[in-house]
Amino acid sequence: MKKVSVSFTLNGNTVTAEVPVTWTLLKTLREYFELTGAKEGCGVGECGACTVILDGEAVNSCLCPIPEVEGKSVTTIEGLANEDGTLHPLQEAFLKNNGVQCGFCTSGMLMSSKALLDQNPDPTEDDIRTSIAGNFCRCTGYVQIVESIEMAAKESK
Amino acid sequence: MPDHLFVGKSVPRTIEADKVTGKAVYIDDLKRPGMLYGKILYSNHAHARIKSIDISKAKQLEGVRTVLTGQDIPDVRVGFLKDQTVLKKDVVRQYRDEVAAVAAISPEIAEEAISLIKVEYEKLPAVFDPFEAMKQESPLVHEIDARGRPLKSNILPLPWKFETGDMEQAREDSVYTSKDTVSTTWVNQCCMGTSGCIAEFDQNSNLTLYDQTNVIFGHIGRITEYFSQIGLRGKKIRVVNPVVGGSFGTKLDTDIYEFIAIQLALKTKKPVRILFDREEEFQALPPRQPAVFTIEQGCDKEGKLIFRHCEAILDNGAYTSWGATTPSVMMMPMSSLYRVPNVYFKATCVYTNNIYAQAMRGYGNPQATFAVETSMDTLAEEAGIDPAEFRLINRNRPGDQTPMKLKITSCGLEECIKAVKEKLNWDEKQGKQNGRGVGMASLIHVAGGARVTKSDGHGIMIKLDEYGHVDVIESGTDQGQGSPTVISQIVAEALGVRPEDVFLTFGDTALALWDAGTHASRHTFMAGNAAIGACAKAKRQILEMAVEQMPKIIKMGLKRKKRKDPEFVEPDLDFGLIANPEDLDIRDRMIFPKKEPDHPYFNLPLAQILQNGLLVGTGQSKVVMAEEFYDPPTEMLNWEMKGNLSMTYAFGASGVEVEVDEQTGEVKILNLIAAHDVGKAMNPTLLLGQIYGAAYTGVGYGLTEEIKVRNGRVMNPSFRDYQMLTAMDVVPIEVVIIEPIDEAGPYGAKGVGEPGLVPTAPAIANAVYDAVGVRITDLPITPEKILTALKEKK
Amino acid sequence: MIDCDYLRPDNLEEALGLLKEHGPRATLIAGGTDVMAKIRNTKKTPEVLVSIRGLKDLKYIDKRSGYHIGALTTHRMLEQSELVKAELSALHDGASRVGSVQVRNVATLGGNICNAAPSADTAGPLLVLDALVFMEGPEGIRSVPITEFFTGTYKTVLKKDEVLTEIKIPGEMEHFGSAYWKHSRRKAMNLPILGIAVSLKLEGEIISDVRIALTVAAPTPVRANKAEDFLKGKALSDEALNEAGKIAASTECCSLRDSLRGEAWYRGEIIEVYVPRMARLAAERIAQRRSK
Repeated sequence: MKKVSVSFTLNGNTVTAEVPVTWTLLKTLREYFELTGAKEGCGVGECGACTVILDGEAVNSCLCPIPEVEGKSVTTIEGLANEDGTLHPLQEAFLKNNGVQCGFCTSGMLMSSKALLDQNPDPTEDDIRTSIAGNFCRCTGYVQIVESIEMAAKESK
Repeated sequence: MPDHLFVGKSVPRTIEADKVTGKAVYIDDLKRPGMLYGKILYSNHAHARIKSIDISKAKQLEGVRTVLTGQDIPDVRVGFLKDQTVLKKDVVRQYRDEVAAVAAISPEIAEEAISLIKVEYEKLPAVFDPFEAMKQESPLVHEIDARGRPLKSNILPLPWKFETGDMEQAREDSVYTSKDTVSTTWVNQCCMGTSGCIAEFDQNSNLTLYDQTNVIFGHIGRITEYFSQIGLRGKKIRVVNPVVGGSFGTKLDTDIYEFIAIQLALKTKKPVRILFDREEEFQALPPRQPAVFTIEQGCDKEGKLIFRHCEAILDNGAYTSWGATTPSVMMMPMSSLYRVPNVYFKATCVYTNNIYAQAMRGYGNPQATFAVETSMDTLAEEAGIDPAEFRLINRNRPGDQTPMKLKITSCGLEECIKAVKEKLNWDEKQGKQNGRGVGMASLIHVAGGARVTKSDGHGIMIKLDEYGHVDVIESGTDQGQGSPTVISQIVAEALGVRPEDVFLTFGDTALALWDAGTHASRHTFMAGNAAIGACAKAKRQILEMAVEQMPKIIKMGLKRKKRKDPEFVEPDLDFGLIANPEDLDIRDRMIFPKKEPDHPYFNLPLAQILQNGLLVGTGQSKVVMAEEFYDPPTEMLNWEMKGNLSMTYAFGASGVEVEVDEQTGEVKILNLIAAHDVGKAMNPTLLLGQIYGAAYTGVGYGLTEEIKVRNGRVMNPSFRDYQMLTAMDVVPIEVVIIEPIDEAGPYGAKGVGEPGLVPTAPAIANAVYDAVGVRITDLPITPEKILTALKEKK
Repeated sequence: MIDCDYLRPDNLEEALGLLKEHGPRATLIAGGTDVMAKIRNTKKTPEVLVSIRGLKDLKYIDKRSGYHIGALTTHRMLEQSELVKAELSALHDGASRVGSVQVRNVATLGGNICNAAPSADTAGPLLVLDALVFMEGPEGIRSVPITEFFTGTYKTVLKKDEVLTEIKIPGEMEHFGSAYWKHSRRKAMNLPILGIAVSLKLEGEIISDVRIALTVAAPTPVRANKAEDFLKGKALSDEALNEAGKIAASTECCSLRDSLRGEAWYRGEIIEVYVPRMARLAAERIAQRRSK
């Protein structure tokens, strides 16, 4: 199996992965780095459970060939909390406002929201819904997720 | 009684912080040393004879550890009616039949090995329509039953018939009658985490199954039975839950993939994980049971229901899981939603070569309520009565006993219907048929357990350490409903600690006491009552300890003070205040006398008492540990399908306002009101989450979701093609909480997990009728169906 | 994916060299959303993947004597471009309805039309915007009108050794208003049951020029020429628009069929209803721009 060596920034640290060339970013995160927060809910970019932030943009890591990550910056759910261990306002809001139930979609949901708030600190409800339209959730009906993101946006101000 | 400190408060889900940091370990994330990856080969045909299976190439592939076919494992029948084997060796009866399985060192190799297996089939005639399948000349899906006796028909031998009153007389007495045929289709539970498990045997052939089931002890029962037939009689089985990525009914039965994982682990002597991909989840996981109902109702001149008569046909698919038992729950709304004295309900389950079905949130109730609530509207129209008024006339009331012998205790149905009316501005909007319309539907559901097995019990154990930490060993499972938070609130309240002092262990049969399962909206009710009982016992132990320790600690403190400050005058304390456990209480981590809660000396931290009282010395050390097994005084259904199977029942009503585009048939939901009688809202924020989520799934059930099965094959096995709603599909939902405080519930609470889904789809159907005058009786209510009906109307 | 060579050329020249070198063994990959999903779904990996995702030079939206859009421009860039929203509205409508934000962040305009699905959300808009497709290969640069680009379902005129480099929309389109409707059962993460794009130019109340395109209405995205001919020179009236809708839905303009996502008769109904609705929206957009 052909392997590739890929260096990139992962949650603030410079890392190098030596993995089969055919691996996706998701597989590399989960198998090589043992960062299992990003989930595979479908593997074909249709559920959003694998969402991570790549150079500032939310992407489905299951659709990202690992060679494309060379030199880029990746943030995963494991890198969302503050360095001192306190939670990001989004994480706090999700716990407080029941934005999380079974939790399987949550990592992806939070990363989509984080990418949104980074680009647009004052989103409308429509902006929020658009940004998480690619993150399926069966538990919540999205209501309290949207409210959580609104709450986090307010508190981040 | 002072206010509750934690119960009834929106305590955040901080106890589940691992879920927002990526730390929570799901079955996908769990690895065991030496673990292999299992993969299943499914049938290519809906009905065919297996002529040969060639596994030679798959076996030779590097990294493959075993390849199993039906020839390699004992020919043991499993499932509710024991109508299938784990791997099929002679005949496949549906597309998802498991034909072979592989275990390999990586998922990729396992998948490649599967593609190398060659199976030769000889096609057999198949039947895909339950009505066709009932005919004499239909091909038989099964030639013999579980005992080897020949079968002559595709109709399953199940007793789903309920009858009460005098139907003939009732028909005669009715002034108005209506008759409708309504149908519902397959929908997928769509757990975001797909199905999976890890089977692992120890050297003595005892099994540990890391598994997402929410009926951990039921699982053991079924696997024990299987073990007894494959030479593993007497072996110990331990089921351990990882964090579960949603359940919604999928984790009630023991699925075939779980038996396959066990067989692969047995053969390889290694832990084996099987994890479905999304396509498998859509194709090989049993979905919600479809059904066709023919329902008739009659009422008198004043609109009082006189009879309800309903016959249901259920497409059972090729094998039998819980789908075939959904009529036992359908009976509840059929017999007991609204007051109706004469009831006939019969459900016939029919084998076909389609996929088979199981439980999904509501368990038969959404299907049956769609039938009842469609009929309520058509009969109301027949009688010329406003549909909301018609429902109020026939509403259930506290103290009723229904024809099914359900004892209605608390009942907020009247308040729910009235709330829906008010919030929708019903009187002004109803009956216009101007493209906009309102509709409503109600529900009844078990909300205080459901005695479907001999024990409907739930066990909880709690223990406290010398630091005041409370360990709670829960016999239920957590699939995301919020139980860790709610149970920690109850324990904190009942014991006098704080929620953050409570640490819960869910879903481990080696630790927990027995439980009937986290299903039937029963967890908060059952576990809450068990927790209150266990806490009372533990509290008693603590207070007995306090009676011994408090005087010592206080006296020692006074002495110390005196030593430091010779001027200090020892107060004259009445130790009689703290002489008996009954005189003491614990609240917010402090122990104090009930008579003088603010006593300046008799107020000691719980942890201090525990430190002094637990680790004492030879012969005097103690533990604080208590258990409670709560098995309520309910009844199993008798042979007539009657019995009070739950301690209490949930009621609710949904109201919907829609706008229908008469040119395209598209439906827009302008407003959805979900009014629910919940007994007591234990955690209002979490409660809302249950109702929002359930209602939203109900909207999908009503408008968009369907597994398209064509000639037995699932044609849309992806999120792209299966139309589960996204965040962009905005449904404005307003929840109304009615709290009639149920005497049997923990702090008055009733179950609420399923109810929100149940009345949603019929409310939408009724609103569509009110908007454009066409009644869609087949779910989902698609634009195509509406447009077709509108054209026919013209 | 089983195994493959994953090549990441630094520039277009290098990419063309690699395509030539590997011939039919090579598959071009841009944003990767279609290619990666296909690999996963079919469980077949191409022997060589030539990735042009890194070719930054092909990512742009420019207006200079017409509109120039680099092939690697992502759907998200189109969605967030004020220029596209205001002046190429149908393309904005189409691009913002593809998949999810995650998909639109990487999926490219070039990729969407090269994949040539009958349902491609940017195809209809590009058809009504008279787009010109530029391709570069060993023999140099060539261009074809978008009407000639699609040759069949998942088939285009693009040769194996060529790279689609740019989409050009004539400057004349500035005077058109346009709109695209993606008809689907839910609002996101969907393929359309049917797509309808309309662009038109008004002189007073007279439709002086008009384009109508349909997707999922034939093996390739198509223009509804007969309906256009009918409308040209007519006043913008319900009567005319409804008649155009009927013509567009007829066999003169499309070959509707039943599929899993929708039935032929229903697709016809949607064309009839949404051709007028999109024409109205396109006209409204002209008015809006004028009022600004």
